[in-house]
Amino acid sequence: MTTLAATAVSRPLLSRLLRGILPLLIVAIVAFFSVAAPGFLSLGNLSSLVLNNFVLLAIVAIGMTWAVAAGGIDLSVGTAVDFASLAFVVLLNGGYGLVVAIPGALVAGALVGSFNAGLIAGLGITPFLATLGTLFIGTSVQQLLSDGGQPIYIAQPVLPGLTAVTWLGMPLPLWLVLAVATVYGVILARGRLGREILAVGTQVQLARYSGLSIRQISLKVFIASALACAVAGIVLSSTVNAYVPMSGNAFLINAIGAVFMGTTLSRTGRANIPGTLLGVLFINVIANGLLLIGWNFYWQQVATGGLILLVLAFSFASRRQSPSY
Amino acid sequence: MTAPALHLQGISKRFGVTRALDEVDLRVERGSIHGLVGENGAGKSTLIKVLAGIHRADSGTLAIDGQVLRGFGPRQIEALGVHFIHQERLLPGSFTVGEALFFCHELRYGPFLRRRAQDREAARLLREYFALEFPPGALVSELDSAQRQILQITRALLAKPKILVFDEPSVSLVKREVDQLLAIIRGLRDQGLTIVYISHYLQEIESLCDRVTVLRNGRTVAVVDPRSTSTAQVARLMVNRDVGEMYPKTVVTPGEVVLQLKGLGAGLAYRDINLSLRRGEVVGLTGLVGSGAKELLKSLFGLVQPERGSVHLHGQVTRFKSPRDAVRKGIALVPEERRIHGVAPLLSVLENLTLAGLSRFTRACLLNAADEARESDRLIAELGIKTAGHDTAVRHLSGGNQQKVALGKWLGRDCTVYLLDEPSVGIDIGAKVEIYRLISRLARQGAAVLVLSSDLPELIGISDRILVMHRGALAAEFDAGQVDSDRLLACATGAHEGTAPGLCPVRETQHALV
Repeated sequence: MTTLAATAVSRPLLSRLLRGILPLLIVAIVAFFSVAAPGFLSLGNLSSLVLNNFVLLAIVAIGMTWAVAAGGIDLSVGTAVDFASLAFVVLLNGGYGLVVAIPGALVAGALVGSFNAGLIAGLGITPFLATLGTLFIGTSVQQLLSDGGQPIYIAQPVLPGLTAVTWLGMPLPLWLVLAVATVYGVILARGRLGREILAVGTQVQLARYSGLSIRQISLKVFIASALACAVAGIVLSSTVNAYVPMSGNAFLINAIGAVFMGTTLSRTGRANIPGTLLGVLFINVIANGLLLIGWNFYWQQVATGGLILLVLAFSFASRRQSPSY
Repeated sequence: MTAPALHLQGISKRFGVTRALDEVDLRVERGSIHGLVGENGAGKSTLIKVLAGIHRADSGTLAIDGQVLRGFGPRQIEALGVHFIHQERLLPGSFTVGEALFFCHELRYGPFLRRRAQDREAARLLREYFALEFPPGALVSELDSAQRQILQITRALLAKPKILVFDEPSVSLVKREVDQLLAIIRGLRDQGLTIVYISHYLQEIESLCDRVTVLRNGRTVAVVDPRSTSTAQVARLMVNRDVGEMYPKTVVTPGEVVLQLKGLGAGLAYRDINLSLRRGEVVGLTGLVGSGAKELLKSLFGLVQPERGSVHLHGQVTRFKSPRDAVRKGIALVPEERRIHGVAPLLSVLENLTLAGLSRFTRACLLNAADEARESDRLIAELGIKTAGHDTAVRHLSGGNQQKVALGKWLGRDCTVYLLDEPSVGIDIGAKVEIYRLISRLARQGAAVLVLSSDLPELIGISDRILVMHRGALAAEFDAGQVDSDRLLACATGAHEGTAPGLCPVRETQHALV
């Protein structure tokens, strides 16, 4: 009697390995660069890595995580970052002080989010196309407003100096990441809205038939995503002391990469904030290390993109083997 | 003795700790129709997936025409002439009937597709096999589920199969189409094809099959000849307990009117619908595809907007603007498309059960996980949902248990009106009885229940009264205790019109208005 053979045993092992792969890969890459690039482990480099690169991408990617969890995507994160940054700088230069400039920047970001939400929830355009439209409009409006891309610098007397603030030995921007990640992460994982986002993102028709309002949920998601970007916009202009038109668009691809790495490597295959943060760290460490060993910006992009694809390819390959009934 | 056309021997298959198949045997003689029955979860689907090469068995052999196969995949199986007609296999909605029928086997001139020839040929084949007419270039998305099923069967026949496996083919078909299907299957057998027929409808099995294999809990419990074995005996073998009272119905005195429709109409779908639902009442609703019964049910859940007439809820004029609005007003729907609208297969039992009433578990925007777990466990125990725990994904549950989840999510909300759309389709006898019991209990607890079903004995068994729709109008109303399937069917098909006055108590007022 011949048996029909069994190959099902190997799968859990492979996927368990893969779940551990991202932290391991980060450790391996850190180890590699600390040998290959002297100065990588220096305090100065690490703090610049965290403060200049990690903070901004992390906050943007957290907003993106919600959009992806709800079954969509937000391509206009850059626009929200830029508009918040613009409002922040203009209000500061107008002499209104931080008390007005910060809420003003948040409102500007929220407006971008509301515009998306109006297209998605109101007109029923898919998130991909709606936010793509917002991205184009946002980019063009900025070019018009800034004479084709001229930065607006913050005047010397009103420099916000937010990035220099430390509290309990930790810089303010890091506290911000912690706060945003906690709020968005807890709501996504434990909140009522998080469950509703999960339902909409997994099976929108079921959500509708269960009496959930798809409109209200996508409204909240896209405004929340833009609000996170607005926080990033404030940190960005406080770091460079200027509004640089279209600078937010640089976060888009990396934010998407980070979210999907976190999603595909999680046990449940759901978008989640801790996974996103791990993905952001992964991307940042590579870019920083390559910079230190002398690769130029474009090669960094190639290497980062290649590594993201590699991680995702492994992850999807393992998923394909799971039972598909 | 010639080798059987298909012989599965000692097939075992485990999923984690669940033993889905345990030494199952299935022997199908050449040129016969072989029935395969069992409760959901008995292992029918798994066995078919092993046969199809989708799952690999842990042990056992498969032989086709006496030739033992090893290490086979779906392609090899199809090359050997075994073809499958699945309950839910999807055809792409944007294809025309011709494109869907000839998908992967397109008619061509060199590199060019002959689209028109395909559509013409498709129309001819469908007319020949099923006496069905489609407008030329009709899209799959425009067909109803019965027509899609027919398209699938026709598609399988094009491949000139040796063995055809029907996996619940009649679920979405009305009586006339089922009769046609059974006639076609008999015809195929007479041409020498070997048929494996899986169905929950034991009447079909009885009238169609030459042999029947009964599965229970992943084992072959019997191989019987349906001509010498009664349907009741087969049912007993399947569940290993007396089905006993198939339709547990307690007599409830109906209370006040909860929902009343006055002259309701929507487009061409239905018109002049007058009906009232009382507390504690189970009202049956039936009608053929296109009778408007489905649209009427959807209107009560805010999915279709009526254009004429009025809806009164607790005596107040109201309108269901959306499903959300309907849910807020105390309406619950257990929809027909269970895995699309009823449950989310990828989410856990808990996430499904609590989704319709999240506000009950919310404190300051956050969900109370302990409350959710307690409520889910309570519902799992109360409804007898067979699951490893509340964290199990619903896709691992059998159809009957998925349906209990789809119903269970409303139970915490204290809905006043329950709408059930084909509540027992695709679930086994044991689970059906449990669903019927639940329906009866809902009514006893004071809810009004409206059940849309094409299973007429079921409707007679569980309803207090039955409404029949025909061509968009209410054709008749019966007391469930004083009607049989034949009369209901006569009304639903319009057979009474002109020929047999008095057979169907037509409401004159409604027809006069048409």
